[in-house]
Amino acid sequence: MSGFFPRRSTMLATAVAAAGFGAIGFASIGLGAVVVGETRRIDLGAKAAPGIDAVKAQYKRPATIPFPKENPYTPEKAALGKKLYFDTRLSVSMAQSCASCHSPGLGWGDGLAVGVGHGMAKLGRHSPTIVNAAWGAIFMWDGRLATLEEQALGPIQAAGEMNMPLEQLMERLVSIGEYKPLFNAAFPDEGMSIKTLAKAIATYERTVVSERAPFDAWIEGNEKAISEEAKRGFAVFNGKALCSACHEGWNFTNDGFQDIGLPSKDVGRGEFVPGVVKMQHAFKTPGLREIARRSPFMHDGSLATLEAVVEHYDRGGVDRPSRSDLMKPLGLTAQEKSDLVAFMKTLTSNLSPTAVPVLPR
Amino acid sequence: MHKTVLFALVILSGLSAGALAANQVIHQQGRVFSSESVTIKKGEALTFVNDDSIPHNLMSATKGSEFNLGSQAPGMSTDVTFKETGDVQVICAIHPRMKMMVKVTD
Repeated sequence: MSGFFPRRSTMLATAVAAAGFGAIGFASIGLGAVVVGETRRIDLGAKAAPGIDAVKAQYKRPATIPFPKENPYTPEKAALGKKLYFDTRLSVSMAQSCASCHSPGLGWGDGLAVGVGHGMAKLGRHSPTIVNAAWGAIFMWDGRLATLEEQALGPIQAAGEMNMPLEQLMERLVSIGEYKPLFNAAFPDEGMSIKTLAKAIATYERTVVSERAPFDAWIEGNEKAISEEAKRGFAVFNGKALCSACHEGWNFTNDGFQDIGLPSKDVGRGEFVPGVVKMQHAFKTPGLREIARRSPFMHDGSLATLEAVVEHYDRGGVDRPSRSDLMKPLGLTAQEKSDLVAFMKTLTSNLSPTAVPVLPR
Repeated sequence: MHKTVLFALVILSGLSAGALAANQVIHQQGRVFSSESVTIKKGEALTFVNDDSIPHNLMSATKGSEFNLGSQAPGMSTDVTFKETGDVQVICAIHPRMKMMVKVTD
């Protein structure tokens, strides 16, 4: 089935190597410790486009959840983490838990355009799902936190969110008698601490994994698992529409940061790398599992439907220096657009109900 | 003035030698650096080739060795010369899994 997807070789055409690239071939000579030379085009040769089977192989579900060696899985830790995740006493108001904004009933998000924090004040960005966080390389829309353990503590203490100073939280948890034995069981050598609180919540979050969807059955060989429209949509997703350049692999993200041209003043990742043009207005690429349950979409919740999302990509977004080089008008046909939506809907599983835990008193 | 010209000549001759020698090449195919760590001599260059299918944005935030290649399209190659000894972490600003260390020695 070669030729099913466009040939990449057209992007990698042969060109002339820089002539005289020797004594004065460098475009810039800095006085710092690093000197960047000029960028030149090289011949990488022709690459055959992968066939459908090779492309499908890239989307096979992993068999196990990855847990970091610094915080390996134990059932006690996950059980404690679940109680903490659903416990509203983690917020200063005692009215909000992690699950308030990342609810199993709403694709592990909140169904709102932007989150709601302390005092019911609106936050600046859409509450992201926590589904498949175990595979995350970096956390938050702007990537400001490196691990899920750090992420777990972020919203708890953020003034605009749960507004709970961590020392004060630990005092509160100590005063809830039934927590101590749970911490001792989960962390026999460490007991109750801010660190173990974070480890427990992160461990529970890592167990929240999207379940098998029709797409997975198709990847594994059941041709009847998804519609012909969805199969065509998969081809568009990996070909003409360039979606898979960022939404790649079984969780449909490489965790990269891209400015996709949404007309928002929020600089996103740019706050942390102000000197890098392409990071201005760039946000982390979200995974697409359970996507049909996760509207509204985008980092600012500005698009209500998957159809609107596809229209945005088809138009290419706001053309500005920071916009990803992958964003451009796509010229999708009406059929291709509806096929893409049909495909994305196959990524939604029949998520099992999540039982709310009985909380310590 | 004389010193400035001499300084410039020294730099250019050093860069020229670096450019003529075969640099170690770092590939980026499949959103992965071809080496997690490389060791080079002070004054030598590495050649960063984007042989991937999408743009990358290589940079370093290592103090004193900061650089930013900007968006590097597929099929492009850039030489980067390291003039001071020490460890320089190189990352792709776009793709957080892409990290490597350049160990610059005397």
